[in-house]
Amino acid sequence: MYVMLSRIAGGVARLLALAGGALLVVIVVLTVVSITGRALFSAGICCGPIRGIYDYTEIAVGAAIFAFLPWCQYMNSHAAVDLFKSALPDVLNRFLNVLIDIGMLVLAALIAHRLWLGLLDKQRFGETTLIAQIPVWIGYAACLVGAVGFVLVAAFCVIRSARGLIWKNARTEPLT
Amino acid sequence: MSDLALALWSFPALLVLVFLRVPIALSMMAVGVCGSYLIYGTSLPVLNAFKNVTYGTFSNYSYSIIPLFLLMGQFATLSGMSAALFRAAESFLGHRRGGVAMSAIGACAGFGAICGSSLATAATMGQVALPELKRYGYPGSLATGALAAGGTLGILIPPSVILVIYAILAEQNIEKLFVAALVPGLLAALGYIIAISVWVRVSPNSAMVKDRVPWSERLVALGKVWPVLTIFVVVVGGIYTGVFTPTEAAAVGAAGTGLISILSGQMTWAKLGQAILATASASAMIYLIILGAGFYNSFLALSQLPQVAAAWVGDAGFSPWFVLAVVLFMYLVFGCVMDSLSMVLLTVPIIYPIMIVLDFGMSPQDFGLWFGILVLIVVEVGLITPPVGLNLFIINGMAKDTPIKETYKGALPFVVTDLIRVVILAAFPAITLWLVWFIDSF
Repeated sequence: MYVMLSRIAGGVARLLALAGGALLVVIVVLTVVSITGRALFSAGICCGPIRGIYDYTEIAVGAAIFAFLPWCQYMNSHAAVDLFKSALPDVLNRFLNVLIDIGMLVLAALIAHRLWLGLLDKQRFGETTLIAQIPVWIGYAACLVGAVGFVLVAAFCVIRSARGLIWKNARTEPLT
Repeated sequence: MSDLALALWSFPALLVLVFLRVPIALSMMAVGVCGSYLIYGTSLPVLNAFKNVTYGTFSNYSYSIIPLFLLMGQFATLSGMSAALFRAAESFLGHRRGGVAMSAIGACAGFGAICGSSLATAATMGQVALPELKRYGYPGSLATGALAAGGTLGILIPPSVILVIYAILAEQNIEKLFVAALVPGLLAALGYIIAISVWVRVSPNSAMVKDRVPWSERLVALGKVWPVLTIFVVVVGGIYTGVFTPTEAAAVGAAGTGLISILSGQMTWAKLGQAILATASASAMIYLIILGAGFYNSFLALSQLPQVAAAWVGDAGFSPWFVLAVVLFMYLVFGCVMDSLSMVLLTVPIIYPIMIVLDFGMSPQDFGLWFGILVLIVVEVGLITPPVGLNLFIINGMAKDTPIKETYKGALPFVVTDLIRVVILAAFPAITLWLVWFIDSF
């Protein structure tokens, strides 16, 4: 049961991260196309930069970073100082793991909930990006996908570390 | 409690959380949010800001350079350029005493020009150079120490993710910082090569030499690294001349290293996936810290601590050089236990306003560049000092027969050259700045 849960959480996180990476690659390609177009334009040949490329970059990179959060959470790759880990008793360390994961879950939930409220605000005011005139709430919606994934994976991580606290030999490492 | 006292107490609170292994992003966020709540007396301003701050931070155009540079570095590790760089460096240096280790340093410097991350540089060059160093009888301590130190060139030589973050925090020109980092980065490589040269003279049996390679072969080997040079010139030159924005340059760099990996046949779907996942964890980690640091710093700004501290240091009549020495020393100490990126994000917003009011006899812009390079070097030293020098662990994990104690010992001479370099660059700002002045004069 737990193994299945872990594989699902890991699978969702991986899928979101890969999707975010695909967005980054798309932006890389679009940027190169846009620069080429701009160069051809200034050389007086043809074409021009992609209109609103900066707007696309902002939305795509934002959505990508949100989509990266679950993977970072699942793999435990947040920057932290574990200098005193070996000096503390094992039980305390396992207890801290639970507290830390609860803290991350609270943060994830706060980010997702606030993002949702922000989306509603932007929708109400009909704000759009500067050049491409994309409604800003669409960017928020794209980010919400990763933000919700972050909440789900962070919730799983609480279960994972709680098991580690209860059973000394429970598997707490990411399954990949 | 006054706002100021609150801000002062936030430091120990933050340290306790961080040392209890709470992720640095979460620690800063928690302390920052609680502090702002206590100052405002209500949670509304923070909660309202939260509606837009996360999206605003993650989709900020100037920050988007970070994941793109990380992707560029990940593609670079697949490009096969590490091996080509090592062969080229070996053909020039291999016949000298300690030449194989020197070649590893040279190759790291070359790789640092297309990769902005120390860990990726250390890991990639370790794979290529460790077997060769072993074959030529280098002791594990020298081999692992040299590669761990060489890895830091990934950050010291532009492009560099830490410089990007410093530029954002201190409101400096990214392009000028990259140019300013160039000479100190090359000096770092030179210092490491000298350290190796001294080592093999002190213990002469520690390494065999290769045969001298004729110039014709050297040129052939050098010819194979042209993509590295091209990408470096296009990326750094393109930013500097304003042909494209830094973010566009990072995208072009990622396209360049990605293209080489495809052409060299190294890029498979599986490896592309790994490159993306590595970019994902690193980017998410960095952005969360930026977000946390944002909340923490707006709390500090609200408490007016940076202004008060700056005024206090200004009035206290300390010699600016004394303050600089204290600050750099503090970075060295903290670097032993904290990773370089978190340290920069945590400290620059507090330290920089204090330092900028001190008179070092140079323009604010020059000061910003020079101080940034000094900070970059001292935080990078943390990567090769025990107990949590990440580069040491990465390289040691690859060299299975070398105990970690040997690696610590092997890194020591390189740490010494780092310290000497910091002192020299601090004493003679012109070494860092002349290239910026020179290019600006056109």
